[in-house]
Amino acid sequence: MISVENITKVLPSGKVLLDGISFKVKKGEFLGILGASGAGKSLTLRCMVGLIKPTDGQIIYSKELDDDDNPINICELKGKKLRNARKHLGVIFQGNNLVKRLTALENVMIGRLGQISPLRTWIYGFTDAEAEEAYEALKQVKMEDYSNRRVGSLSGGEQQRVAIARAIFQNPSVYLADEPVSSLDPKNAKKILKLLAPLAENKPVIGVFHQPHLVSEFCTRVIAVKDGSVVYDGDPKLSEEQLEMIYADELSSIQKEAEKMSLIKKSKKK
Amino acid sequence: MNLSGYKISRYKTPFIFTVTLIILIYLSADATEVSLSEFLDGWSHGSRLLLEFFPPDWSKIGRMLHASLLTIAMALIATPMGALISFLFGLAAAKNISYPGLREVARVVISLERALPEIVILLFLAAALGLGLYPGILALAIGSIGMLGRLLADAIEEIDEKAIESVETVGATRSQIIRYSIIPEVLPSFVANSIFRFEINIRNSVLLGAVGVGGIGYELNESISLMDYEASTMAIIMIISLVFVAERISDTIRKKVSKTGEVM
Ligand SMILES: Nc1ncnc2c1ncn2[C@@H]1O[C@H](COP(=O)(O)OP(=O)(O)OP(=O)(O)O)[C@@H](O)[C@H]1O
Ligand SMILES: [Mg+2]
Repeated sequence: MISVENITKVLPSGKVLLDGISFKVKKGEFLGILGASGAGKSLTLRCMVGLIKPTDGQIIYSKELDDDDNPINICELKGKKLRNARKHLGVIFQGNNLVKRLTALENVMIGRLGQISPLRTWIYGFTDAEAEEAYEALKQVKMEDYSNRRVGSLSGGEQQRVAIARAIFQNPSVYLADEPVSSLDPKNAKKILKLLAPLAENKPVIGVFHQPHLVSEFCTRVIAVKDGSVVYDGDPKLSEEQLEMIYADELSSIQKEAEKMSLIKKSKKK
Repeated sequence: MNLSGYKISRYKTPFIFTVTLIILIYLSADATEVSLSEFLDGWSHGSRLLLEFFPPDWSKIGRMLHASLLTIAMALIATPMGALISFLFGLAAAKNISYPGLREVARVVISLERALPEIVILLFLAAALGLGLYPGILALAIGSIGMLGRLLADAIEEIDEKAIESVETVGATRSQIIRYSIIPEVLPSFVANSIFRFEINIRNSVLLGAVGVGGIGYELNESISLMDYEASTMAIIMIISLVFVAERISDTIRKKVSKTGEVM
């Protein structure tokens, strides 16, 4: 079980970015995180990977990140301990999360870098058996035909699938995905979710999404973040009113934007 | 739209430049008391001397070719050596992967080297090792650090933070990040820069040769001091061809590298 407990992040200037985020994720869950732009979703995920230290609070992985199944608070890890914990985290971040000049296959193999010694990395890298396995991971996301293509020349959706193959190959205990489908067309977005959903049967999957309809179709639970706090936690099917509450500010700002546009149009006609 | 303002101002800069130049030449000639007749006199003396450089002494071609090979060999050995040293300094000087203290030291070394001409480095080395091929090669190699190290450090610092972060999040160590994220991203440009540096090193190799290291530069210097000007012409022909060919080769390879980017 993963337990995010009262995470806060306050800038030196006093600005509060995260204001006591708490939620739990269990095995078998596909947790969707919704929230308006700037709500603090990415920040929360980055804290969960140990890329950012929260000002206060803790994130306990009950046994997922430890080789001996001990509980671990990732917020207090550094150096070698942090690297060891990260071996067990499958991270799929939005865009630019691959090495553009390496091939799809090489990018997939990077997933296991944490599990091989630095010396081996420099001498011969990965074994043939590992390459075969990486190829299988690419097969799972139907990207095997692109295994020797440089990632920089793949489309956004194809890159996203390579990123998922990398996480699969890594064989982590938890999957963390930040907007894995935001740059994709509806059909491809659905394809990616169909890849993620079955992973959740064995390992918890936590994903940030901007598409409530996809979340309600694929996730087993959803939380919504607003202004750095969790404002909803429960059923993935949200009502119109709930969505309006979550995205309230964004909607009103879009409306204001639209009004401005119409004003400009009107003044032009004059 | 009214373009007439632009059309006039377009000619303004070259016009002002030319007029200023003419005035400056006139003033400086006046100040240094160069008169037109003296200028022509010197010119005729110079052209008489120039005649002594012809025809080139083709009998020296074997010797000059041999000397040129030495010059090329020096650049050929020094460039990869310099590239290797520069690579380490470049890594150490890049903010996003180096350690704060180490970075400052590497930056200082790189800036210092950039300020020092290769000749000065050679003179330092000569004081310890004497003049010769070995210190010459070493001077060329060290002389590459300023340019190659600086370009590499800048290229590494421009790498998208996320490309590094994504390798970091699987639990990779710093050296693994370098191997799987930094090197693939910067290697093509580093190789291209090194080839360009080879071209520069050919020219530097000629120059250091003239100081006494050996090679075609040395032959040129020797023939001039012996007043064997026809041999000098032969050496100059060799130098020009050498630099020209090096430039062509380096251009071609660099275009290939940057087009495919497939060096690994
Ligand atoms: N390094 C930082 N320094 C200062 N402020 C930051 C930093 N990182 C994020 N923020 C701020 O924290 C807030 C939350 O950012 P976050 O990236 O978590 O948003 P998000 O919910 O992921 O939004 P989006 O849906 O647009 O990705 C934003 O207002 C952002 O400007
Ligand atoms: Mg985000």
